[in-house]
This record gives sequence, C-alpha cells and structure tokens, in this order.
Amino acid sequence: MDVNWAQVLFNSAITGSLYLLGAVGLTLTYGLSSFPNFAHAEFITLGAFLGYTIGTQLGLGLPIALVVTFFTAGLVGLLCYRGIFQPLAKRGATIIHLMVASIALSFILRYSMGAIWSWKPYYFASSWAAFDVGPLRVTGLWLWLIAIAVGLAIVMHLGLVKTRMGKAIRATSSNPDLALASGININKVILITWFVGAGLAAVAGIFRGADTQIWPLTGWDIILPIFAVTILGGIGNFYGAIASAFIIGLAENFGVVGLMALGLSTSYRLGISFVILIITLIVKPQGLAMFFRRA
Amino acid sequence: MDPLLFAEDIHAGYGDIVIVHDVSLRVEPGEIVAVIGPNGSGKSTLLKSILGFVKLFQGKVSYCGEEITGVSSDRIVGLGIGYVPQVNNVFPNLTISENLDMGAYQVRGRASVKASMEEMFSLFPELALRKRSLAGNMSGGERQMLAVARALMARPRVIFLDEPLASLSPKPASIILSKLQEIKQSGVAMVIVEQDVTRVLSVSQRAYVLVNGAIAMEGNAESLFKEESAKQRYLGLHAKAVDK
Repeated sequence: MDVNWAQVLFNSAITGSLYLLGAVGLTLTYGLSSFPNFAHAEFITLGAFLGYTIGTQLGLGLPIALVVTFFTAGLVGLLCYRGIFQPLAKRGATIIHLMVASIALSFILRYSMGAIWSWKPYYFASSWAAFDVGPLRVTGLWLWLIAIAVGLAIVMHLGLVKTRMGKAIRATSSNPDLALASGININKVILITWFVGAGLAAVAGIFRGADTQIWPLTGWDIILPIFAVTILGGIGNFYGAIASAFIIGLAENFGVVGLMALGLSTSYRLGISFVILIITLIVKPQGLAMFFRRA
Repeated sequence: MDPLLFAEDIHAGYGDIVIVHDVSLRVEPGEIVAVIGPNGSGKSTLLKSILGFVKLFQGKVSYCGEEITGVSSDRIVGLGIGYVPQVNNVFPNLTISENLDMGAYQVRGRASVKASMEEMFSLFPELALRKRSLAGNMSGGERQMLAVARALMARPRVIFLDEPLASLSPKPASIILSKLQEIKQSGVAMVIVEQDVTRVLSVSQRAYVLVNGAIAMEGNAESLFKEESAKQRYLGLHAKAVDK
C-alpha cells in the first residue's frame, strides 16, 4: 500500500482543527457549569444549517455565514443556559439532572431542526476546488478551517492570559466560590462562555457540513471525538483541548491508514476516539491537565 | 454612630439544618474581632452567612448603616468587605500577579490596580519575588500571604479571615499574624475565626466565643483570655499552658 504520509499529516491537522473548534465550548462550559452538555452536538448542527441557509440559500458566501452563524448560535447557547441549566442549578440540580436535561434539550433541538430544515441531507452549493501544493491535495475550505482554528487558539490564549475577563474565566473554572469572594460576577462569566462556546461549535458545524452533508445529525456524528478531546485534554482545560484535538486528529488519520492496511472499513475511525476516551478514563481521568496547569 | 458592620440575630445553616442560632456580631472601624470556639461550633458558617455564601434563615446584616442582607457575595466585595476562606483560598492555575488582579476585579482603572499591587508587594516582599509563578507552586505560608493580599486588593474596610493560621507551622503563623497587625494599622478592620486561641486573642480587641452555634461569651479579648472559666470551658486551654 502506497501512503502519502504528508497528506495523512495534513488531514490530521484538518481533523484536529475541526475537533478543536467543536470541543472548546464543551470543555469550557463543562469546567464552569460542572456538567457535560450533550446538546453541544446540536449547536454544531445548528451551525451547519444556519451556514447553509446564509451561505448557500441566501447566497451570502462563507465569511458572512461564519460571522452571522457564530453570533446566532452563540445567542441560542446563552439562552439555553439562562433558560434551562441556570434555573435548574439554582434549584440544586446535580450533574446527573443537568446531564439528563441536556440530553432532553438535545432531542428537542435536533427534531426542531429536522422540522424546520427537513431530514433530507443538504450540500453546500459552493464547490471547493482542490489544488495541489507539493505532495498535498488541498481545498480552500480546509485552509479556512485550519486558519480559523489557529486564529482561535491564538486569540483565546491572549484572551485567557491578558484580559480580565479571560483571567476571570480561568479563576471561575478553578474555584467559583473564591471567584465570587474576589468580586467576580460568575454568572456573567458563565453566560459569556456559553455564548462563545456555542458560537464556535456552530462554526465547526459549518465546516463539517461543507465537508460532508448537512442534516439533523451533523453534530451528533462527531460528538464522540469531541467528548474524547474534552476528556483527554482535561475538563475545562483550553490548552489541553488544543493538544488533544490534534492528538485525536493524528490518531484518527493514522488509524485510517492502519484500518486500510488491515483490510477493514474506514468507518471504524470513530472507534479510535472512543478507545482513546475509554483508555483516558481508566488510566488518567484528569487527562493532559497536569501538563497545562495554567488553564 | 453606626458600627462598621453589624450582623443581628443571625440564624443560618445548610439545607434545612440551622447551625447558627440567634448570633449578633458587631465590628467597629479598624478593630480586630476574634471568633473562637470548639470545632463544629458554627464559626465558619456564621462568617459565610454574613458574606452571602450560606443560607440566612433569619437576621439582618448592615454595613456602614445600610442593610446588605441578601446582597450577592460578589457585590459584597465591591462594597468593601473582603473574605479569605480557610482552604482553597488562591487560584492555583493563576500566577501570583493574576491572583492579585482578580482580587481587584471590581476596581476601575489600571493605574489604581497597579498601585494596589505594588502596595501588596511591599507588604509581602516574598510575593514580589515570584509574581510570575503559579500560585499552585507556593508553600502554605506563601499561599496564606497571597490569599490575604488578594482580599486586600479590593481596598476593603473589613476583612473576614477563616482560620488564617490553620495548617501553618509556628514561624509562618507568626509572620501572618504580624502582617495582620500591620494591616490593622492602616485602618482595615478584621474578623478572625481561629482555633489557635492564644495567638488570635493576643492581637484582637474583642472576641466572641461560639459554642453549639450560639454565643456563649463575648467581650474584651484581654479579659476573656484571663478569665479562667472561659479558658477551661470554651477555649480548650489549660491554665498551666497559658501561664508558661
């Protein structure tokens, strides 16, 4: 079997970038609100549908679709927290209650989107012509995705380290009571995080939808690797999420080569992140957090 | 004249369980007030209920003559009331400078925050030496200094300290205690909950003895310390040990 290893590495960067965009919101909201939000998958799907409607149906193109989708989905995420999870948490809901509520919200959003956009798959109209760069086969879409993920990593890093709100997010994630005792309005911090997290998930949804298809399960299809990124990176740990997104991207793409060499179906690739998820939970449940203590 | 802070007829606890019964506590400007008593007597709960961290079943809290009962904990900080919890009192994932910056979260203006930070560094030179290192890497004594400095960053008029000497060896405990006296000189009042009765009474003006969630004794710290019955019944001190 002849393998273009440069292409495998490039594909890993694409996968890692997608998972990073998808997982940032999940890991930060998990860290701050102390429960895994399963409806995060639907924020990804919502992004795919909104991106399709704005970019293709209204013909406004990718850049406008990205911006409008980010803000619209961000608002939906914020309202979900404010309207459902915050009131539940105030009444003393445990992680189990909040998790079950998020699964219920996930179904409500999924079937609502199915009712609005139908269950038949859509495809972005704009075609992304492939071109060769040395040994690599590249599309403009993939370059956009990698550029946005790298840009996100830089902006988020600067935001978390240099701005007061960023430091407040890290402080609240580490110790909410001490954050309150420092005068930080932790509700505002949590709302902003939900907004940004859902917005970024929706951006991931646009890229996933543009690369595959858009239907009510677009987000659900990749929620497993996104959870794997969250757990491996250490819950609430942004830097851990960057590392683990690319580790899982590499594992999946090199794994696909392995599956092909063994004559197995490449649809087993999702199993790779599941295996990483399980191994992390057994061996080191705190994931890579120990390497990124500043998060 | 109104006291700086007055908590009146406080009943507080967790869930449906009332831990603090009918306690009143008064703090005058610039004084150190000790809250002492055996383990599980409700000292920390009293503190947390005044600061809005624990459910207040009944009672009233006023600050500078204005009622602040039920005001959220983050807004209480903005009013000028600081809090140093007993454990987990620094952000381990933030640097020393970042911890101080968070303490001044509600303070407007970079210059003012920077000035406060410089004041903290001159009060606690140990912190200045390592301002870029993570708080999680510090020793117990250094952490306690940072915790106090973080609370001071908001320029409070009164600070509540929950067992600031617990788990410290004698030397860092003495350093913290002398720093607290230095802070008092600058006019900041303090309410100190402490197990180490001898040490805390030596720096306090007044004291409350809490037993089973209610006030068993209160008064001048010096006379309380000398009173034999208080020492034996509530403070767990033996006359000989004190006389030494």
